[in-house]
Amino acid sequence: MMPLERLLIEFLLTFLTREELNAFLRSPQNTATLVGGLIAVSGALLGTFLLLRGLSMTSDAISHTVLLGIVVAFLLMTAVFRVEGDTSSPWLIVGASLAGLGTVALTEMLYRSGLVRQDAALGLAFPLLFAIAVILVSRFVDDAHLDEDAVLVGEIGLAWANTNSHCFENCDSVTVAEDHPAAKMTRQCVNCRELGISPRDERAEFIEVCGNCGFYSPARAWSAGLLEREPALVFFPKSISVALVMTLLTLAFVLLFYKELKLSTFDPALAKALGFRPGALNYALMALVSLVAVGAFDAVGSILVIAFFIIPPAAASLLTDRLALMLLLSPLIGAAGAVFGYDLARGLLFGFLPIGDAIALINRLFGLELVEEWDSSISASMVLVIFLLFLLAWVFSPRYGLISTALRRVNSRRLFDDQVVLAHIHNHQFTAQAATELRVATLHLHFRWTRRKMGRVLARLRALNCIRIVSGGAVLTERGEERAHRFRATMLEAHNMPSSLE
Amino acid sequence: MKPQRALGGDDRRVWLIIAAMAVVALLFIPLSQALLGLRFTYTVRVVALGGSILGVLSGALGCFAVLRGESLLGDALSHAALPGVAIAFLLAGRELSALLIGAGIASWLGLRFVSALLATTRIKRDAALGIVLASWFAFGIALLAYIQSIPDASQAGLDHFIFGQAAAIIESDVMLVSAVGAIALLVLFLFWKEFKLVTFDSEFAGANGFRVGLINTLLSTLIVVTIVLGLQLAGVILMVGMVIAPGIAARQWTHKLDQMVILAAVFGAFAGGLGAVISALDRDIPTGPMIIVVAFVLVLISLTLAPGRGLIWRRLRQRQNQRAFAARNTLRDLYRYALAHGAANKPAPDSFIRGVGDRSAALGLRQLRSEGHVTLGAAGWQLSESGITLARNDLRNQRLWDLYRRYAHELGLPAMAEERGQEIAALLPADALARLQAKLEEGADS
Repeated sequence: MMPLERLLIEFLLTFLTREELNAFLRSPQNTATLVGGLIAVSGALLGTFLLLRGLSMTSDAISHTVLLGIVVAFLLMTAVFRVEGDTSSPWLIVGASLAGLGTVALTEMLYRSGLVRQDAALGLAFPLLFAIAVILVSRFVDDAHLDEDAVLVGEIGLAWANTNSHCFENCDSVTVAEDHPAAKMTRQCVNCRELGISPRDERAEFIEVCGNCGFYSPARAWSAGLLEREPALVFFPKSISVALVMTLLTLAFVLLFYKELKLSTFDPALAKALGFRPGALNYALMALVSLVAVGAFDAVGSILVIAFFIIPPAAASLLTDRLALMLLLSPLIGAAGAVFGYDLARGLLFGFLPIGDAIALINRLFGLELVEEWDSSISASMVLVIFLLFLLAWVFSPRYGLISTALRRVNSRRLFDDQVVLAHIHNHQFTAQAATELRVATLHLHFRWTRRKMGRVLARLRALNCIRIVSGGAVLTERGEERAHRFRATMLEAHNMPSSLE
Repeated sequence: MKPQRALGGDDRRVWLIIAAMAVVALLFIPLSQALLGLRFTYTVRVVALGGSILGVLSGALGCFAVLRGESLLGDALSHAALPGVAIAFLLAGRELSALLIGAGIASWLGLRFVSALLATTRIKRDAALGIVLASWFAFGIALLAYIQSIPDASQAGLDHFIFGQAAAIIESDVMLVSAVGAIALLVLFLFWKEFKLVTFDSEFAGANGFRVGLINTLLSTLIVVTIVLGLQLAGVILMVGMVIAPGIAARQWTHKLDQMVILAAVFGAFAGGLGAVISALDRDIPTGPMIIVVAFVLVLISLTLAPGRGLIWRRLRQRQNQRAFAARNTLRDLYRYALAHGAANKPAPDSFIRGVGDRSAALGLRQLRSEGHVTLGAAGWQLSESGITLARNDLRNQRLWDLYRRYAHELGLPAMAEERGQEIAALLPADALARLQAKLEEGADS
């Protein structure tokens, strides 16, 4: 990870000075938005395919299991390999991703046994694995990074603080040995515990121990005051590089296998027949989902991450029918959620609507005394913004939105009303019953409509210049005649009758 | 008559399991005192009791979620309860009934939202559930974070609804759960027929004038009530396991709804009680997750051991079928060889039989020999008296089946599926059989 970061920083330093870059990265908002945005983009890309394959809830199962993977890997690292557990270590990420993949396999096995339905298999697998993880956490882990709160919401607001330091100039690392002038020597009793005596006892034996010996990287050396010249340092948050790698991998996967993914999503049988191995592709997809779920664990926790997989693609699917466009829209929606989510957590919806005022309003309406300062979870707020965007898409989507669907329905009802009235006039005009059938005053009775409705339809037809009213009876104009003919032709065609029947 | 008798046996077995589990569940407290040396404090008693009662409720109602393929609905609804808890706290403070009502309203709204999405968009069911789960939960988390940011609010313990905290349960909570649970079970009893109908054939129910939408809503509401009651114990994340695991386990043992529901209730009580007892052994083992683990162990046992459906059972039956099939084919080979060489008791060389029958021949020979139908002499495999009779009967049976296929219509025989493994004589009525046998005597097949 380190060389990659260095490469990126060197690239960025061609545009920015070191101070500017450090200032940018030290802002919690910038780092949180960046990390959230990257997670949202990779989640949305993969989630699009999950949604289209009807596998959205699999991401739920995977993200729950990932917790178990992380806990087990964490315990293994600390207990067996004696390495300090770090939730952003690459080994831990790989191990936990394997656990995620394992769930998919387990679920599939349960389902294939034919004894359990697919949804039940999912619903069985992940509460179990999650329960085991929770038991392990509360039984064996005493680390602040893995407590139950971190599981739920992550620590995206603190992402800026956990950094790798990169040195570019004056890079003097220091090794403090016992003979180093800065070494702090202390006396330590070697047999006190063994004999159960106090250090004041005369039997106590002492050795000199160096309290601060060891290797100092340039950054640590500078902050410990061991260096004279200030090294040129860049502090790069670890979460950003993890999220960046995830996003690049996802992007590469989707771009490289776009054709295969598309085919196996919409027609798995054809994909198989053409030799594309949709099974292998499916597992690759699930492996990436696991990877993203693990990578996002630190930032947004193991439950909220599924929002990034499910909601943006669902919103995009309401806006377009084209896969390519969906793959463009859903990352945008997710990223917008990350950008506005930080503001929302600090009390500002979409950058200009203050939440505090809304709480004040509620207080006034219900006579409550709630605190008007809104300071909330960043990751949850990001999800909420994404959800709000989804609601907007649901209501206002030009093709599948609630409003446009309602308008279309009204339109087609009107069209139908117009056409049956025209057909009625067409059938009866110039016949013996024309006088009774077509009299405007009683026309509504023939349709069992209200007088008002018939009035509206007739007014519309007159405005469209389709009928005229001649001495209290309705008569088709030339234009109306033409419409009635067309309607008749389409009706006959719809019922598979030759239109030459007339 | 035969299949009914078999079902009767199944019935008795299931009721026996139910009774045994119920006895074990009832004896929990004395048993664990005797075996584990566990000291029953007030807390342990209350938690074990609460867990069992909740298990009964969620097991019984969870069956319907399992059978309707709505297992994940429980997941979404339990997560969706969180904002309700938070809002109820903001409005009414730490009053358990208020919190539970808030939770119920929130997850019920989530349910309606899922229905609205499904009705007006092309979003699939699982995605709709995921949307509700994630966004309701996020709203709840945001509210909890807001509540925690309020200075000196007595919010302590509110986030226990997420993972559940059994230790915080007191006797009055158990009373509340029992009372509401009893009402829910009563509703289940009263609407038993309707629930059964919409679960298995909702179109038929609709065609017969039942108000399917209303019944569905009622059933879902009952599931919401169960989830809400369980939140304090199991928490929003794990509640889904509590709802569906007993149902899935019970499904393996029986094909009848009433048995399944009762068995699931007993399983649920067992898991709830045992989980609570185990977690009482060590302070660091949380109760909710432990209950889930116990419930899953029950599922695992059921999946492997359940008679008829279980994996072991199925494997045994496969082996049995394989052996019977191999034995029959080998018997036919032997008989045909012997007849072709003069007499039915003519031995067939070992290499010949193994060559003809390939790998299944070894299996078949072993089976036939253990049943005493063949003997291995110096000249090879020889059919015994019983083997000859068996082979002859089998040949006759196969001929009758051949005739049945050709002349069933002409002879006016009743229509039935051609199952050549069965004795046709046992399947046909006597007069029909007589006609078929007459045809055989005519030598129509030769």
